[in-house]
Amino acid sequence: MSNRRSSRQSGGGVSRISDDQIIELVSKLGQLLPEIRNSRSDKVSASKVLQETCNYVRSLHKEVDDLSDRLSQVLATIDADSAEAAIIRSLLK
Amino acid sequence: MPLSSLKPKMRPHSSLKQEFLKKWIMGLQRCSFSKKNMSILERKKAIKFSADIAMASARNGTTCWSRSLISNASKEGSDIHVVEQILGSESDRPAVENKVPTRRASVCKKIVKRSCRIRRRRRRRKCVASAPSSIAKHLVRKRREVLKSLIPGGEFMNEICLIEETLDYITSLRVQVDVMRSLASASVRASE
Repeated sequence: MSNRRSSRQSGGGVSRISDDQIIELVSKLGQLLPEIRNSRSDKVSASKVLQETCNYVRSLHKEVDDLSDRLSQVLATIDADSAEAAIIRSLLK
Repeated sequence: MPLSSLKPKMRPHSSLKQEFLKKWIMGLQRCSFSKKNMSILERKKAIKFSADIAMASARNGTTCWSRSLISNASKEGSDIHVVEQILGSESDRPAVENKVPTRRASVCKKIVKRSCRIRRRRRRRKCVASAPSSIAKHLVRKRREVLKSLIPGGEFMNEICLIEETLDYITSLRVQVDVMRSLASASVRASE
C-alpha cells in the first residue's frame, strides 16, 4: 500500500512513527473532508487524502477571504452598535 | 509516547464558536479606535486579521499552528495592539503575567528556531532512498510539502504533528467560516 511508511526509514530520528498512527490520523483527516466523506470507498490512499486536504484548506482560506470582503462592505463602520446587534442575532440561532 | 493524548481536542463546537466571536469582535473594536476613516481594503484586512488572531487565540496556545500564527502576526508592528487586545482577554488565570502577548511571541520564536534546527538535523539523516516504493513515498512527500506550506508553522513539523495540526486547523477554519458567514448574513438582514 502506498501509505505504508516503514518505521526503519524514520529510525535514527528521535521518534519512531508507527504505520498505525499514521493510518489512523490519515483516516481521521479523511473523515473531515467533504469530498472523501461523501464518496466513501474502503481504501482511500494517503496521497488522495493529502491532496484533498490541501484543496480543502485552500478553499477555506479563499472563503475566509471572500467573507472578509463581504463583511468589509456590509459593516460600514466597525463600531460597537451594529456589530453587537448582529452578534445577538447570530447567537440566537 | 502517544502524541494525540497531549492535546485537548474534544471541545464543544458551540463554545468554540462563541469564544471566537467574542475575541473577534474585541479585535474589530480595537481596530476602529485607531483608524477612523478606513478604506474598504483596510477594513477587509482588519476584519481578516482580527478573525485569524481570534481563531488562533481560541486555542489558548495548545496547538503549534496557533502559536505560529500569533508569533507571525506579532511581527507586524502596527497591529500589535489588536493582538494584545485579543490575547489579553484570555489571561484570566492567576498564573499568567501581564506581558503575555510579547512573552508568548518570543517563546514562540524560540520554539520555532529550536524546531528549525532539529528539523535540519533530521533532514540530513534521512538521505536514504533506494527502495522501489520510494516513488510512491516521494509523491506523498510532495503533497506533504504543499500541506506544510498551507498550515502556519507547518514547515517545522514532523508527519504526525503535521496531520494532527491539520485536523485542528481545519476544524478551526470551519468555525471561523461559519461565524463569519452568519455575521455577514445577519448584518445584511440588519441593514434591510
